[in-house]
Amino acid sequence: MTTVHITGSMLLQLVVSGLLAGGLYALVALGLSLIFGVMRVINVAHGTLLMLGAYTTYWLFTLTGLNPFVSLVVSMPVLFVVGVVLQRLFVHRVVEAPELSSLLLTFGISIFIANVAMLAWSADYRSVEFLTGSFLLGPIALSKPRLVSFVVALGLTGLAFLFLHRTKTGKAIRATSQHRDVAQVCGINVRRIDLITFGLGAGLAGAGGSLVSVMFAVYPEMGQVYVFKSFLVIVLGGAGNYPGAFFGGLLLGLVEGLASLFLTAQLSEVIAYVLLVIVLLVRPTGLLGGRT
Amino acid sequence: MRTAFRSVTGLVTALVILAGSWTPALAQEWTVGASISLTGTYAKPGKYTQEGYLLCEKDINDKGGLLGRKIRFVVYDDKSDPPTAIKLYEKLITEDKVDLVMGPYSSPVTNAASTVSEKYKKLMMASLAATTSIWERGFKYLFMTISPAEVYLEGLVDLAVERGLKTVAVINEDTLFSKAAAKGTIELAKKKGMQVVFHEAYPKGTTDFSALLIKIKSLNPDVIAAGSYFDDAVATTRQMKELDVNPKMYGVTVGGDLPEFYKLLGKTAEYVYGSSQWEKGLPYPGIKEFVTNYEKMWNREPVYHSAAAYGACQVYAEAIKRAGSLDSDKLRAELLKIKMKTIFGDYQVDERGFQVAHKMVLHQWQDAKKVTVWPAAVSEGKPLYPTPPWQRR
Repeated sequence: MTTVHITGSMLLQLVVSGLLAGGLYALVALGLSLIFGVMRVINVAHGTLLMLGAYTTYWLFTLTGLNPFVSLVVSMPVLFVVGVVLQRLFVHRVVEAPELSSLLLTFGISIFIANVAMLAWSADYRSVEFLTGSFLLGPIALSKPRLVSFVVALGLTGLAFLFLHRTKTGKAIRATSQHRDVAQVCGINVRRIDLITFGLGAGLAGAGGSLVSVMFAVYPEMGQVYVFKSFLVIVLGGAGNYPGAFFGGLLLGLVEGLASLFLTAQLSEVIAYVLLVIVLLVRPTGLLGGRT
Repeated sequence: MRTAFRSVTGLVTALVILAGSWTPALAQEWTVGASISLTGTYAKPGKYTQEGYLLCEKDINDKGGLLGRKIRFVVYDDKSDPPTAIKLYEKLITEDKVDLVMGPYSSPVTNAASTVSEKYKKLMMASLAATTSIWERGFKYLFMTISPAEVYLEGLVDLAVERGLKTVAVINEDTLFSKAAAKGTIELAKKKGMQVVFHEAYPKGTTDFSALLIKIKSLNPDVIAAGSYFDDAVATTRQMKELDVNPKMYGVTVGGDLPEFYKLLGKTAEYVYGSSQWEKGLPYPGIKEFVTNYEKMWNREPVYHSAAAYGACQVYAEAIKRAGSLDSDKLRAELLKIKMKTIFGDYQVDERGFQVAHKMVLHQWQDAKKVTVWPAAVSEGKPLYPTPPWQRR
C-alpha cells in the first residue's frame, strides 16, 4: 500500500471543500440558533424540516422540472407556514417550560413527520440530478452544485442578518432573545415573535434542505445528520450567538475536511465530537461567547 | 406380568409396522420447508426468493414430481429476523416433519437457520447466502448456491489485468458483506500482479466522500473498486465527477446493477462497471423458459434472487434423483459430486459445501443500457475502454 503524500494542492482542495460544506452547516444552524435564542426551545425536529424542504425541491424538480435553486422561493415559504403551524399547535406550550419538555416534544414531532414521509414517499433514496461536475482551477476541482449552494447559503445567511439588524421585526426578535420579559414590557408581542421566529427557523431549515438535495440523496431520514451537526455548530459558536453560528458552521466544515485527510474516514467522524467536548470543557459559552 | 409386557411390546411393534406401511399411502407428496423474509427489511428480495421456490415446485410437479411423488413447499415468514428463523426451522423439522429444507433469504438469516438444520442432520440447500464465514463453521449439511462476496469484482480485476493496468484503489463500506468484497478484490488483484495503492473503509451512512476521493485522486490509480451498497455507490460516482477523479476503470459491487442506478445518475453512470449474480439474457440452459414461465406466473420480471432460488431447487432435485432417496448423508454425497448448469449458471462445491463454480457477471453502463462484458463466454459486448476523463464527456 502506498502512503498518501499530502501536498499543498490537496490541502487547498480540502480547505475549499470544507468551507463549501461549512456554508451550508451555517445556514441550517442559524435557523436552529434563532429558535433556541428566542424561545429556549431545543428543536430536534429541525432536521425533519430540512427533509421536507428537500422533498419540496425534489418533487418540484421531478414533476415540473423547476430549477432547484429557484424552488427555494417555494420551499422557504412552505416551511415557514409549516413552522408557524407547529408553533401555534404544539411548540408554544413548551416555550417557558424546562428544556427537557421541548426536547421531548420536538423529538416526537420529528418521529411523526419522518414516518409519515416514509409512508407517503417510501424510504427510497432519490436525487435531484441538476448540476453535476466541477470547474477546474488548476489542481483544484470546484464542485458546481456545492459552489452554487454555498453562494446561495451565504446569500441567505446575509439576508437573515440584515433582517435581524435592520427591520423592526428583526430587532424585536433579537430583543426577545436577549430578555423575554423586558421585551414584553417594552411592548413587543412575544407570542407573535415566537411564531415568526419558528417560521423563520423552519424556513431556513427548508432552504438548507433544498440546497442539500442537489448534492446528496433525498430520503425521509436525511435530516438527522444535520441536527447533530447544527447542535455542534451552535455549541462551537455560542448558543444564541448568530454570527457565532456562521463561523461555527465554517469551522466545522473545515475541521471535518482536514481531519479526513490525516485520518481514515471512520475516525474523522469522531473529530468533530472531540472538538465539541473540548469546547464545552474550555469555553462552554462557545468560541464567540454567549447570545448577542 | 411377563405376558402383559409381551402383549404391550407386540402391540407397539404392530402399531409401528402399521404406521410405517400407512405413511406412503397417506403422504402423496414430499414437503419442503423454508422460512422466508416476507415482511421486514428483506421483504423485497425475500418475495422474489419465494416466487422462485414456488415456480420450481410447479415445474417439478408438472414433470411428474420426485421419486414418484409431488413436492409441496411449506413456507413461513421469518420477518427478516434470524432468531425467528431459528424457531421456524425448529417447528418445520420437529412439528411439521418436513421431508426436506431449503434456505431462507440473506446471509444473517441463513447463518442462524442453518444451526437448526445441522442439529437435526437435515440437509439445507442455501440459495441466497454469500458470506464465506457461514461455510467456515465446519457444517456438514449446508450447501451454497450463489457466488461469495469475495469474487464480486473478479471481472473488474480480470479486465484490468488484460489491459495491462497496474494500480488499484479499493474503498468499502465498513459492514460484513462489503468488507468481504473488498478483501476478496484486494487478494485477487495482488494475485494477478496488480498493486493495491489505497484501501480505506467508510462508516455506513457516509454521504460525503470528498476527502476519501481527494486522497485517491492524488495517487491517480488506474482502477477504483468500491465494495458498496446502493446509496454509497450513487454518491461516490457523483462525487468522483465533482472532484474530477479519473480512473481508467471504476466498478461497484452492489447497486450498479439496479435500473435505479442509471435513473438517478443519468449520463454520469456511463462507463461504470457493476457486478451481478445473474442476468436474464445469459446463455444458460432453460433460462428462456424460466423467464417466460416466471413472468406468466408472477406478472413481473425475475431478478437474480428468483433465479438463485430456482437454481438451488434444481440442484437439490437433481441430487435427489441421483441418490434415489431423501437420506441426508446420501444427498450430501451427491451434492458434493454434482457438477451442473442450471438456469442460474454453474454449480459445484468444495468439501465444505462452498460454491466454487458459479460465475458472477460484470456489466458496464453503455448508452443507458447494462451490457454484460465479462466473462467473455457470456458477454454481450466489449467494454468501452478506457473511461474518458469527466471533462471530455
